[in-house]
Amino acid sequence: MVKHWWKALGVLLVIYTLTVGMLIPLRPGITAVSPSSVRTGEQITIQVAGYNSNFKKAQDSIRAWLKLDNERAIAAQSISVKDDQSVSLIFDIPEYLPVDQRVQDMTLVIDNDADGASLLPSAVFVTQDSIDPEMGQQVWKNADISNLNDKKGITFPFRNILGETIRNTYFHVSLWLAMVSIFIISFANSINYLRDPLPIYDYKAKAYTRSGLLLGILGLLTGAIWAKNTWGQYWSWDVKQNMTAVSLLIYMAYFILRSSLTDSEQKARIAAVYNIFAFVALIPLIYVIPRLTDSLHPGAGGNITFGSQDLDNTMRMVFYPAIIGWFLISVWISKLQYRMDIIHARIWNLDDED
Amino acid sequence: MKSKGEIWHLLRKDFLLEFRTGYAISGIFLYLFGTVYIVSRAFQQIKPESWNALFWIIILFASVNAVTKSFVQESNQRQLYFYSIANPIAIIISKIIYNILLLLALSFLTWGALSFMTIDPILKPDVFSLTLLLGSIGFSINFTFISAIAVKANNNATLMAILSFPLVIPVLLLLVKLTAISIGLVAQDITNDILLLLGIDLLLLAMTLILYPFLWRD
Amino acid sequence: MKKTTLCLLALQFLMFPILNAQSAQPDFMRSIGKIYVVVAVIVAVFLGLVLFLIYLDKRLTKLENQINQHD
Repeated sequence: MVKHWWKALGVLLVIYTLTVGMLIPLRPGITAVSPSSVRTGEQITIQVAGYNSNFKKAQDSIRAWLKLDNERAIAAQSISVKDDQSVSLIFDIPEYLPVDQRVQDMTLVIDNDADGASLLPSAVFVTQDSIDPEMGQQVWKNADISNLNDKKGITFPFRNILGETIRNTYFHVSLWLAMVSIFIISFANSINYLRDPLPIYDYKAKAYTRSGLLLGILGLLTGAIWAKNTWGQYWSWDVKQNMTAVSLLIYMAYFILRSSLTDSEQKARIAAVYNIFAFVALIPLIYVIPRLTDSLHPGAGGNITFGSQDLDNTMRMVFYPAIIGWFLISVWISKLQYRMDIIHARIWNLDDED
Repeated sequence: MKSKGEIWHLLRKDFLLEFRTGYAISGIFLYLFGTVYIVSRAFQQIKPESWNALFWIIILFASVNAVTKSFVQESNQRQLYFYSIANPIAIIISKIIYNILLLLALSFLTWGALSFMTIDPILKPDVFSLTLLLGSIGFSINFTFISAIAVKANNNATLMAILSFPLVIPVLLLLVKLTAISIGLVAQDITNDILLLLGIDLLLLAMTLILYPFLWRD
Repeated sequence: MKKTTLCLLALQFLMFPILNAQSAQPDFMRSIGKIYVVVAVIVAVFLGLVLFLIYLDKRLTKLENQINQHD
């Protein structure tokens, strides 16, 4: 039982990922505003729809601003709360804006003591009738955004397009990292085979490759579901997606290569050579793909690469265990496969002795 | 140096064989002109973007066909003979150099033929020539190594395509991008892309030299 | 082999009502902060693992048959 601790750990980590990843609520956020385009010199009423917000509960402490840039903002004239999820704000948009663009986007910031501060970038587009930055400077009534509240309790960040699907970080993105680790193990076993041609290394390389393929297929499938429902298309030209697609091609070719060779020693050796070559040839793709997105696929900018700004510390607490959990489960699955291969080899060797 | 002499002799052998029979190369060139002809008839008006895609598709398939025969053409007995007198590294290097020259000729011919029959969208011939050179090197190393693998299996023509296409994707993507730059579709500094391509070529070469001795002993 | 095909077929028929419900109500996947997208992803991962289990099961059965023949 003692030597199986890592299997238990893998299962526990996946259970932890499922429960904690699903139970921790999202931080309150703003999902929509209407109208989203206004003209200058008007008093406008903006309906704001909140998510997970407590507008009613924190009615007296709500403050709201339309932010032009980091220094300049205008405060809401009056705020009336309908329920926890909706509030309407009245703003006086000045006759002129202190910018020399016809259309200016402004960020909506709402703050109260129950939800903390939440913001929606480019929430409102203001169209100017005539452009005069000088006049705009004079009529601008600046409001300071200060003393923002902090949301208490553990939450995941709210991102407008993602919504709850930010949790897919644990069930989809982690699969990709687990896949890469599994392919590295397969690669290492192929190297071992070339150094010391024992059949066990070949069985291991084969088993890990197959588990990696499983993770890759699942990653692509879940990625497509996620992308379809957030960005509107199944394929989003993301580095990870492309890497996975190419590695699926390569490792499927690996199995076709194996099946077209007959002699088992030759099969193992040539498969190992191909595995090493393919893995190394795949690495440059990490550098190549990001260089292409700007030039060949315009409009693919701002895709879902999870940079440091997208993973806050709470998410890390679930994300890293998720990777290790999926990885350990895959190692377990691989182990089952190569143990079968060992038994298989033993049966045939017995046959030879007869 | 002994291996340098070996490479030279093996290279000369490949060229002599080619000139004596000549049917492999003429087959490739016939394929090339046939494709270019069909493409130029099928597209009445060809846009630079489509030119870029078509050019590399033609090159990709022509190169696979051209390189596949480098190991296939030699009978097992003859291979055995070479292996007994020459060093494996010398064999693979001579094959790679031969294929680089072949693919280089192939690329420039395709460029000429496609320009002659359709349009010549290339605004920066120097960048494009460099692209073709680095592309030929990358394709040649990759396809030569894979053909050495595929020749061990029986159905090697299909296997060759299956095994090698995913592996040339990084090279191919960079080539398409560099071609787009030399057509003037995107304005960008090419230094980093060229260095990256060179890096990939060197990486593939290093892997080939390390791994080929393992393939060779049969 | 036949059993798995049958299972997959059954699964497909079972999926029809769900898919139809989705097309009738296009915002189902996007309701409640798109939480059903997360559910779909988890279900997909689970189904993938189950299909792999079925594959392993078949391989084991083959092995068992070989051992039985051997004895």
